[in-house]
Amino acid sequence: MTEDEPAIFAEGLAKSYRGKVAVADVSLRVERGETFGILGTNGAGKTTTVEMLAGLRKPDHGTVRILGLDPRGDRRRVRQVLGVQLQHAHLHNALRVKELIGLYRSFYRSPRSTAELLEMVDLREQAGIVFEKLSGGQQQRLSIALALAGRPRVVILDELTTGLDPKARRRMWAMVERLQQEGVSILLVSHAMEEVERLCDRVALIDGGRVIALGTPRGIVAGAGEETLDDAFVALTGREPEDIG
Amino acid sequence: MTTAIDGGRPGARSMLTLVGCEAKMVVRDTAGLVVPIGLPLLILLTSASGAGDDVIVNGRTALDLYVLPLLLAMVMGAIGIINMPSFLAYYRRSGILRRLGVTPASPLMVLFAQAVVSLVQAAVGIALALFVAVVFFDARPPVDVGAALGVLALAMAAMYGTGMIVAALAPTPNSAVAIGLVGFLGIGAIGGMFGGREALPPALAEVGGWLPVGATVDALGAAWAGTAVDAPPLIGLAAAILVGTVTAVAFFRWE
Repeated sequence: MTEDEPAIFAEGLAKSYRGKVAVADVSLRVERGETFGILGTNGAGKTTTVEMLAGLRKPDHGTVRILGLDPRGDRRRVRQVLGVQLQHAHLHNALRVKELIGLYRSFYRSPRSTAELLEMVDLREQAGIVFEKLSGGQQQRLSIALALAGRPRVVILDELTTGLDPKARRRMWAMVERLQQEGVSILLVSHAMEEVERLCDRVALIDGGRVIALGTPRGIVAGAGEETLDDAFVALTGREPEDIG
Repeated sequence: MTTAIDGGRPGARSMLTLVGCEAKMVVRDTAGLVVPIGLPLLILLTSASGAGDDVIVNGRTALDLYVLPLLLAMVMGAIGIINMPSFLAYYRRSGILRRLGVTPASPLMVLFAQAVVSLVQAAVGIALALFVAVVFFDARPPVDVGAALGVLALAMAAMYGTGMIVAALAPTPNSAVAIGLVGFLGIGAIGGMFGGREALPPALAEVGGWLPVGATVDALGAAWAGTAVDAPPLIGLAAAILVGTVTAVAFFRWE
């Protein structure tokens, strides 16, 4: 049964590539209905962590559970309830927006309607355009729509608003808030402090492949004795905000 | 919120949608259609007129016994050995498979959809070549239609098998395209694609007869003539299927 299982549970995750440690030790727990942020610099281990949580990579050590299910061992069930937006959108170049949405909808038992998905990411006017003719921001929004196509209960969003203009960014935030109202559990990987402070209930700060701080955005700021999440990040990691990515 | 999680696998409708999407990709990539459909027509136009004059056996001419089998072998070879590995390379390189990996779709669904679409492509290429040959060059149908159909099915599988060897052993996605092209031209060359095998050194001609293009030409030629299809070409085609399957299972990686 999955009644009391957290949305995402990870314990002692570790992953090395050819002897180089990407993730040393990451444990986290995303409760149902919670929005949980992961912050970290480039090379901190965020992407590898996300890939292990999504079941794309097998951890060297540690355990992952999505609603109590093993994303690799119980792939079929996990894929119906977990939506994942990967950092770089890789889709069929020659297919139109509505065709791609139709394709991804077809994978799921009770998908959202095409009209609803187009509306959620503001791509109604681009429905007939082929993927390779979309702007970078539009491609990213489409990628987000596809992650939501199956009406997932748990969503992993990797760099949700990176590369989006301010208007599109606010639109995506409104979309996340709508998911929150629907009770969807969300893991948000980000380097935008403002975004994390606004949307996330709790945040894990990852550095050097480890979780170095975990708590509410406000709690992390207070714990570091700083005024803003930006300053707290610098104080905790010793890195300038420019390094963040 | 209910807690029961249904592990539904995408069904037949999803499969149809995927096939439709693959077909749209193929149709919109017009360059990919040139080799399997355009090239055989070109060869037909340049070599058919002289080949249809003298009856060799059972009312069938060199056009029926040699040119047509070669054209059909080329259509299937181009699709199986060049297009199939390129498609897999594109999917691997672009990360589309990685994106599909986080959905309920499986890589086998993608492979199946591609196989369906490329079979349709092969059928269109074959039908077109036959149509032009019959209408404009007085080509005649095979004496043994059943044998011809059987050889076509076996040959198509052998071409896919060869393509899977290329896809499985190519070190990088880009090299798969190059190896596929060189492999197709090489197997074709010693299979009679650029002139009869009798002009080749005997050892090379012998090898060419066992490999998919030469074997297809021999077996289809026999079906057209209505004579018994010899065992060697059939064994050669079956071997390509077997080696391709084993190689793919052992070495092919989706990422």
